[in-house]
Amino acid sequence: MATGALRFRTPHIDELPTTQSRQAPGFAWVAVAGGAQEDPSKNWGTTNRKRARVSLGGQTDQQREAVSAKQQREIERKLRDLNSDNAKDVVIDLPKKHGVGVGGVKAGKTTNTKKILASGKNFAHYLDDEEAEIARTGRRDGEAEAPPPPQRASKTPLARRKTREDSSISGSPAPSTMQTGPPLLPRGAQALPHLRANENDIENEDYDDTPTLPSDAEIEYLLSLPPLTYTQARAAPPPATGPAPRRFCETCGYWGRVKCSKCGTMTCSVACKDVHDLDKCMKMYT
Amino acid sequence: MARQKSLPSAPEASGHLADKTLIIDNGAHTLKAGLATHLDDTPPNLDSCHIIPNVIARSQRDKRTYIGPEYSDCLDFGELAYRRPVEKGFIVHWEAEKAVWERSFLHKDDAVVKCDPEETSLILTEAPNAPVALQRNADEMVFEEFGFAGYYRTIAPTLNAYAPSPFPSTATSVSGVPLECLLIIDVGHSHTTVTPLHHGRPFQHAIKRLEIGGKTLTNQMKLLISRTFDVHREDHIVSEIKEDVCFVSQDFNADLERVWRGGRYDPRAVDASLLVDYVLPDYETIKRGYARPHDPAVKLRDIMLGIGTEGGRREHVLTIANERFVVPELLFSPADIGMRQAGLAGMVLQSIDALPAGFRQAYLANILVVGGTSKLPGFVQRLESELRSLVDVDEVVRVARAEEPAKNVWLGGAGMAKSADLMRSLIVTRQEYAEHGDGWARRVFAGKARR
Repeated sequence: MATGALRFRTPHIDELPTTQSRQAPGFAWVAVAGGAQEDPSKNWGTTNRKRARVSLGGQTDQQREAVSAKQQREIERKLRDLNSDNAKDVVIDLPKKHGVGVGGVKAGKTTNTKKILASGKNFAHYLDDEEAEIARTGRRDGEAEAPPPPQRASKTPLARRKTREDSSISGSPAPSTMQTGPPLLPRGAQALPHLRANENDIENEDYDDTPTLPSDAEIEYLLSLPPLTYTQARAAPPPATGPAPRRFCETCGYWGRVKCSKCGTMTCSVACKDVHDLDKCMKMYT
Repeated sequence: MARQKSLPSAPEASGHLADKTLIIDNGAHTLKAGLATHLDDTPPNLDSCHIIPNVIARSQRDKRTYIGPEYSDCLDFGELAYRRPVEKGFIVHWEAEKAVWERSFLHKDDAVVKCDPEETSLILTEAPNAPVALQRNADEMVFEEFGFAGYYRTIAPTLNAYAPSPFPSTATSVSGVPLECLLIIDVGHSHTTVTPLHHGRPFQHAIKRLEIGGKTLTNQMKLLISRTFDVHREDHIVSEIKEDVCFVSQDFNADLERVWRGGRYDPRAVDASLLVDYVLPDYETIKRGYARPHDPAVKLRDIMLGIGTEGGRREHVLTIANERFVVPELLFSPADIGMRQAGLAGMVLQSIDALPAGFRQAYLANILVVGGTSKLPGFVQRLESELRSLVDVDEVVRVARAEEPAKNVWLGGAGMAKSADLMRSLIVTRQEYAEHGDGWARRVFAGKARR
């Protein structure tokens, strides 16, 4: 299926680590061509994958993307484990309680509560249900009117579109509909015309350019906005101009200074690197 | 669209506000619960707030299951299997949560907070941005299963506005009157949220969540300690180690340099003042682990066998060095483990940037930190210095931690419960729920429907 390198720049997709991420239907393994490694006229038979990668004209875009996708999946698996409760492999039956209260011990008193008590759903299910509901009806429960419809997916091919900001830098993961509000929402001094600096004002030493408090109507509007969904409320990534993520030594925890050529984890010194090679090297990334 | 709800027992006449109010701050790690009443004027007392572990634990060694408050009776915390009803801050597994609530409040002999739901109102807190189905489940369970007389569900940060202000310059508010501008940072077990409040009402579009909480820190601590000794299944012990020994470093780079052993060809002297020897509990002689300053002269193998210790007891000792401050550093830079989210200071600024510019100074100067994980030493100082470095020089930044960070939300709820007028305007009684249905009740709690 994959013939040659990708021609269009793929959009930046950030897979958020929810509690479980299953291989949902609609997922397909795509063979990534081996680049020059498979060409017998170029391949001089080394088994050292790093040398093969470097000397045979580098990796194709697809290969690089496949490697980074694999690394990203690994990181996300580790993050999910970090945020887990050790409850997956644990089955604890609630003992029958005596003398606690009237009403069924396990079953609930009304049909609704029976359903709630018997349901085995976990949080990921509820999140998926809510997203399905929003996709289906376009609004969350209880809202009087639907939020303005999101931008219709453009049919212009990517190559022909006017350049737009990379979505990962724009700050909040909330859809763009959230940013558009009534023009009352002041953003800095520009939105408040009476505060815009005039030349005369700046020269005046008593000029005070602190923005005034918003009016009661604006405050009421902001307070009455509906709550965001769970995924919209996540904090956004730091600006891309910030410092690069820090890497630490896997063995002792100091700064990572040297990267293992086989598995990509960092260690700080020769001593720690030896420990890593003996016990911990995963040899997993190509 | 009013649906008549059929409740198991008939509710009494509406308009009658129950005398007592049970306030439950339902967290992922613990419940903070206690009774308050609007009949007398005494200010809410922190002693009436009970902290109940929100967990069902099974011990393979005792073959016993500990539900809720029984957890503190456990004599051997080694290798406990846990089941938590609250996932990501929301009550998901009601079967387990019902067991914990019944054991804590309805148990015949041994309830922590004895109350009769038919005659008590309930104030229940939830985490912000809940899926609607979970809110509906909570409402149905409270009214239909437990049968509380009145009920108010709110997001946990809003209750902080009714607790006494920790800022010395803000006057203590009268009970029932919320503070005007507050930015609440709730560093909890499952996650950390930032909520700006205006007179006790949240700005929903500016609520942000960082997916690092006490649980993440404990699990990261398990990973790091397991480099020397495998503690992956010892949740309670590692949690105690984290609480005893971890602190937030004010100068991360310098501290990391101080505890580095150096390379093979470049060995360095480690600054022993930062090292700690932690004695693990064995639940026979040592019931609770404790930390002591590192003693390089002691031979760990001898101590394991009981040679050279006081009374000849065997001690299993772990030396903890940079884990002490590397683990809490996750809160300030989640990118260290690959999480693509801004740290705490960045998230606070994201939330403030979503507000009108006129509010910026007001909220920067009223930042309140609550939540169990904020008890880490050095947390407030570090947060304040990071925020200061990110904002203009002439903007005032004031960060304060509540006196009792874990119980502050409960204290706010108790302050709210003291005012009968406020309660009457907020509480939905059982009869109203039976008449109007759960959709209406949800809209009332969200502030959308008038009563």
